[in-house]
Amino acid sequence: MRIELEDVRHVYAPGTPFEVEALRGVSLAVEADGVLGIVGGTGSGKSTLAQHLNLLLAPTSGRVLVDGADARMLKGGELRRRVGLVFQHPEAALFAPTVEEDVAFAPSRLGLGEEETRRRVRETLELLGASHLAGRAPHALSGGEKRRVAIAGVLAMAPEVLVLDEPTAGLDPATGEDLLGIVRALRDGGTSIVVISHDLDEVAEVADRVCILEGGEVRAAGTPEEVFYAHPEASLAPATVRTASILRDPYPEVGKPVRFEETLAALNGLLEGRG
Amino acid sequence: MSDRNDQGARHGGPPVVSCENLAYAYPGSERAALAGVSFELRAGEYVGVVGPNGGGKSTLLRLLNGLLRSDSGGVRVGGLDPATEPYLVRKRVGMLFQNPDNGLVAPFVEDDVAFGLENLGVEREEMRERVGAAIRAVGLEGYERREPHTLSGGEKQRVALAGLLALDPEVLLLDEPTSMLDAEGRAETLARLEELRGARTVLHVTHHLDELLSADRVLVLNAGELVADVPPERLVTDADLLEENRLALPTILRLAAGLGLSSAKPRTPEELAAAALRRVKQGVEAR
Repeated sequence: MRIELEDVRHVYAPGTPFEVEALRGVSLAVEADGVLGIVGGTGSGKSTLAQHLNLLLAPTSGRVLVDGADARMLKGGELRRRVGLVFQHPEAALFAPTVEEDVAFAPSRLGLGEEETRRRVRETLELLGASHLAGRAPHALSGGEKRRVAIAGVLAMAPEVLVLDEPTAGLDPATGEDLLGIVRALRDGGTSIVVISHDLDEVAEVADRVCILEGGEVRAAGTPEEVFYAHPEASLAPATVRTASILRDPYPEVGKPVRFEETLAALNGLLEGRG
Repeated sequence: MSDRNDQGARHGGPPVVSCENLAYAYPGSERAALAGVSFELRAGEYVGVVGPNGGGKSTLLRLLNGLLRSDSGGVRVGGLDPATEPYLVRKRVGMLFQNPDNGLVAPFVEDDVAFGLENLGVEREEMRERVGAAIRAVGLEGYERREPHTLSGGEKQRVALAGLLALDPEVLLLDEPTSMLDAEGRAETLARLEELRGARTVLHVTHHLDELLSADRVLVLNAGELVADVPPERLVTDADLLEENRLALPTILRLAAGLGLSSAKPRTPEELAAAALRRVKQGVEAR
């Protein structure tokens, strides 16, 4: 499914002294495949935007379209099933006595039948490399394990679009890298994925398209190459792009690498060719 | 292992913090969260703590400020035991948490910075002076009457830091103080911490090795054990030590290693690009 935000504004607490305009006319498409990275500073509106993708928050004005039709036309619950939202620090919401039961909670409410629910739970845990945790108590797991189980709970609904808000925050680097591997595997399996992150280096590694939010507005959107090389300043571009954009000036053959391996190859090419 | 414990002897004097054979297991857990951890912090040292999730980093901080009581082994902060004298210890130890939103309580920035002092019953005039000095120390002059909820993440974290500094603690415990901040907020907070170097004893827990490149030492905690206590330059050049402890080099250091430019010790894209340009120039001249 393709989601489109059309000039979406969102105002929290309108008409009160606490009124805040978190989104100021955002237009953006989430394509039916690939990984969209949404980056931006604290308070840029990233998390507010995420919650519009399944209408957990409704726009104050503007529209959310699903495959061209107004998202509000979808039957109750259908949008939430098709668009899975994983919040920041989702492990805070684990509640069942075992991992298996926790992951089964949402699919068991879809009327799938016990057999099908069990199959989905098993497959989802397998996909996330968490099968061995099925019988464990969630509270006794490590931070990285809990994060996987929380994501499994959303994935078990087989959403077409998976939205991950700061998926690696607070995880050690190796655990974060494992999680990005899972994101790539899901993408290759046909799930459309939105990764919201303030870690530009991480988004550079995993995103097929990038959107930079600033003050509730889209500052730039496009391929990582287009977006990051248009804004190579410190707070908007990953370390790879910042390095390559300095070297491109005298040596255009560096090109516009974004991912780590691409950048290493491009810079090695420069040092070997010229050195 | 022994060469992974070359504690710097640069800072003399008695230890401000000492842990000896510290062990702790959470109630109901069979696994030790900390097992036999020993180290000392000298006055003015800046020491990092890294390691995988569940390695014992947060548990260590909680034992140091008396939120937890050790099962065995000893902790001393300024000669005091935090488990039996938590209130005295907390006057000397300030703790900065991940999420600044959780700690800000007052309607205005200056009230928030004064909050801890009010609880200690400090005289009004002295309080005004200390609050002013703390606000200046974190570069927030002019923010006194701002409401904390209108500030950016980096600004909020600086307010929280000012609140700690007003209490004039000898020791600062930092628990992933930049993990909720964006690039700008991170840079702001780290710059303020850098200015405190030498004036306070700092123990800084993080997943980001780039925050510790100028630390005096880095402690590596894994599965509750202290597996290394080394200068940062040792840690970033020991590939096995990094991998065993699920640590990753910052992107710039990884690029530098892949390009054979590690000896230039670049920390920023600008420094790495400069090192690459020098190499290209040398190559051209050698032809």
